[in-house]
Amino acid sequence: MTETGAFEKVLTRYQTIPGYRGTLPEYEAHGGYQALHTVLGKMAPAEVVDAVKRSGLRGRGGAGFPCGMKWGFIPKDSGKPVYLVVNGDESEPGTFKDRMLIEEEPHQILEGVILSSYAIGCHLAFLYCRGEFVRGAQVLQRTIAEAYDKGYLGRNILGSGFDLDVIQHRGAGAYICGEETGLLESLEGKRGQPRPKPPFPAVSGLYRCPTVVNNVETLSNIPHILLRGPEWFTAIGPPKSTGPRLFSVSGHVARPGNYELPMSVTLRQLIFEHAGGIPGGRALKAVIPGGSSSPVLTPAHLDVTMDFDSLAAVGSMGGSGAVVVMDETTCMVRVGEIVSRFYHHESCGQCTQCREGTAWLHKVLRRIENGQGRKEDLDLLLDMCDNMKGKTICVLSDAAAMPIESYLKHFRDEFERHIRDRACPFAGAAGVRKH
Amino acid sequence: MPKLTINGIEVTTAGPATILEAAKSAGIEIPHYCYHPGLSIVGQCRMCQVEVEKMPKLVTACNTSAADGMVVTTNSPKVEKARRAVLEFYLLNHPLDCPICDRGGECPLQDYTMKYGPGESRSVEPKVQRAKHVVLGPHVIFDQERCILCTRCIRFCREVPKTGELGVFARGDRSEINLFPGQMLDNAYSGNVIDICPVGALTSRQYRFQSRPWDLIRHTHSVCPLCSAGCNVVLDVRDKQSGNELLRINPRENMAVNRWWMCDEGRFTFRYHHDPDRLMLPLVKSGDQQHTSAPEAVLDSVASALAHILAAQGASSIGCIVSSRHTNEELFLVRRFFRDLLQTPHVDHRVRPVQMQASDAPEDAILRRTDKTANSHGARDLDVLPGPDGLDTAGMIEAARAGRLKALFVFDEDLAQERPDLPVADALRGLDLVVVTSLFRHATAALAHAVFPGLGFAEKEGSFTNYQGRIQKIHRALEPAGACRPVAEILGGLAGRLGKPLGVVTPEQIWTEIAAQPGPYHGIDWQMIGPEGIIPSEVRKEP
Repeated sequence: MTETGAFEKVLTRYQTIPGYRGTLPEYEAHGGYQALHTVLGKMAPAEVVDAVKRSGLRGRGGAGFPCGMKWGFIPKDSGKPVYLVVNGDESEPGTFKDRMLIEEEPHQILEGVILSSYAIGCHLAFLYCRGEFVRGAQVLQRTIAEAYDKGYLGRNILGSGFDLDVIQHRGAGAYICGEETGLLESLEGKRGQPRPKPPFPAVSGLYRCPTVVNNVETLSNIPHILLRGPEWFTAIGPPKSTGPRLFSVSGHVARPGNYELPMSVTLRQLIFEHAGGIPGGRALKAVIPGGSSSPVLTPAHLDVTMDFDSLAAVGSMGGSGAVVVMDETTCMVRVGEIVSRFYHHESCGQCTQCREGTAWLHKVLRRIENGQGRKEDLDLLLDMCDNMKGKTICVLSDAAAMPIESYLKHFRDEFERHIRDRACPFAGAAGVRKH
Repeated sequence: MPKLTINGIEVTTAGPATILEAAKSAGIEIPHYCYHPGLSIVGQCRMCQVEVEKMPKLVTACNTSAADGMVVTTNSPKVEKARRAVLEFYLLNHPLDCPICDRGGECPLQDYTMKYGPGESRSVEPKVQRAKHVVLGPHVIFDQERCILCTRCIRFCREVPKTGELGVFARGDRSEINLFPGQMLDNAYSGNVIDICPVGALTSRQYRFQSRPWDLIRHTHSVCPLCSAGCNVVLDVRDKQSGNELLRINPRENMAVNRWWMCDEGRFTFRYHHDPDRLMLPLVKSGDQQHTSAPEAVLDSVASALAHILAAQGASSIGCIVSSRHTNEELFLVRRFFRDLLQTPHVDHRVRPVQMQASDAPEDAILRRTDKTANSHGARDLDVLPGPDGLDTAGMIEAARAGRLKALFVFDEDLAQERPDLPVADALRGLDLVVVTSLFRHATAALAHAVFPGLGFAEKEGSFTNYQGRIQKIHRALEPAGACRPVAEILGGLAGRLGKPLGVVTPEQIWTEIAAQPGPYHGIDWQMIGPEGIIPSEVRKEP
């Protein structure tokens, strides 16, 4: 296990400086845009791709797909323009790290965008910013303007002969537009509905052209990898989950917030050392480790390290890095009802299983929580989840089903008690009901 | 040409194909809702999922390419469970009002549920209520509760007429199909959405509640007569106490002509067959009045008048204008009667400018054409045109007014209406004999000495030749109304009375004579004209 105490923050290193707002002069004063000077015109694009491949950087949006490999799928000489799209539609419940990066360190994202565009041969990049991030969108717009003024965007950037324009597009309030092909549809001005794959965006993405869609946090890592080298990056965290990661810790902890750590950190360290443990001396009951769609973990899993593979090995996933901590006052049926209500609300509705299944899941869970459950509902829920998983165009359906399955797996007795007692045993108690 | 295995059966496709297409070509059914061969593929109903060896998840057959060596299973327990689940999800909020639904009995949701679906519902949640009987346009009515959101109707409007009136609004289980603000579903092809709707969500305002599918006693193959495109259709007839009634026309797939579609005009224009104002008995004029008379008596009087004119004035005092709405067989008989038996050169089928200038052209990029008669091509092929020194339509009207013509036969054309530029009324009033066939009383019929009630296309047997030169058969769906008689019988009756029997009666007999004589249809056997029609030059090219 890496000694996380010795870890030097990368993405959020200036956040502790009083008054730091991430404007261009501030960012530059602390070494910002050095990577751009080092790379543009001095490194071949293929070398940049290679460096990112060697860094082992995995996508921070949810799936953890290797970033360099994604770039490598862009066909050479397709004769079409290549687009980079920044996924800033952070909307997985519990996740708030991209928001911080957008609002507090926007030039770091933009430097990542310019370097990535250079690597994949993109001359027009889009920043897709979640619609609810009003301040974030204003900051990004200011940031883009500053970069143009300084010559970091536009024609012949830093005399390298490389041209890049960046356009910001604001979302309109749909979770599904965080799914990369749903995002592309939305960006094209259509209904935000994921596309069947293949073809993948690398071959046929925005306007049917080769496209890379990268998460805000993923791109924020790029300048550092190129400036300090892939070997520096791979030295952080476990071998297959390299580099720093932002964990958004929320729920029943003393100090909720974003924590930048190597993924070798354990769940226990994250909750009890970094986030200050559970207030009021109450006991830990459950943890959602990677956003609301990830299967729940229990105190038995506290020593798992927070890397993609270890979390997968215990039946969950790293997801978006959102860690939601729940103490003993939490009703897991109520959690299920809330989570399923979210997916019910956010399903785009094109695939049958998801459109109907998310609604049915929610209704049954709500009924159980309200004391109207039937014994057969639990097996019905599990079968419903089985019917929803792995059968739709995108994984929203899976995202709705997986957590419910896990609540039933780890807390079936609690569901049974709701049904037996014809009421929620936590009614009136603290915990989720009060929030 | 991928070679794959589906349910243990080896299938070789003719070219690049999806699994669904490959299975279809081998006669293996893969149930589906959103897929339609004429529309873009969206893969969203998830009904066509199948198992493919070495693929971890089920794949949608509609958008997965068939590949060499692929091993596909469409009936494994995994596939059957997934399918049952999709149907269960569909039925969660479906009203299950099959007993009062137009689609009941010919509904893919009903059929697949019976075949692949769960026997009963596991849901105890109240069903979502949605808008009922929403008028979308002049022809289509919408039931949102029955809709399964396959989006075929939306894609049709976007991709075929390219009018895009419909869209999905809201999301998740609140999704609903509706008109965009300020729009009506009033494009010229709107009725097709009724056919392609896999449930009873979109129904025909004309056919709604008229019949159950099993009450339809006949589904007669025919060809739409309303323009030169020659769209293939099926005529659905119900037996009612008042007699057989044509209730519905649907397009019939013919990839060489109309693919799966037809226009609204063709689809919804047929009620005239049952119009109470239709002529049911011949009319004869006495003084200024027309009164009904028995067909035989009218034939007698027309034949004697004709014989008198022939004897006194000669054949060239007789003219004939015949609509190209008639079948090839009718046109052939008309030509034979006037040109060969009576020996007048004054025969023409060209009434409208589009026929005169042979300028028939597409009216849109889909199906409709500017020649609004079905068989101008056939009329040209059969030389239903003026002979040597013969007069055309305008010439006959002029000659009639000038007194050079004594008798005029007008088959199924309201000349006064169609040619306001010609002095039709003046000309016809001066004639000794005007004989008209018509379904209805109209300005031209009113000037006739004798009017024979004509037949609608659903009452006829025969063939049309469309703008491509494709000969296509029409079949009789309805017995002729009242005392309405085919042209063959009217001409045969006259010919017999003039002592020159025509000899042939049935369309097949007439066609045999057409095929026996030189001309574009020479050698084309009646049996060769199959359900998709035939273009003679294409057949002859084959060795």
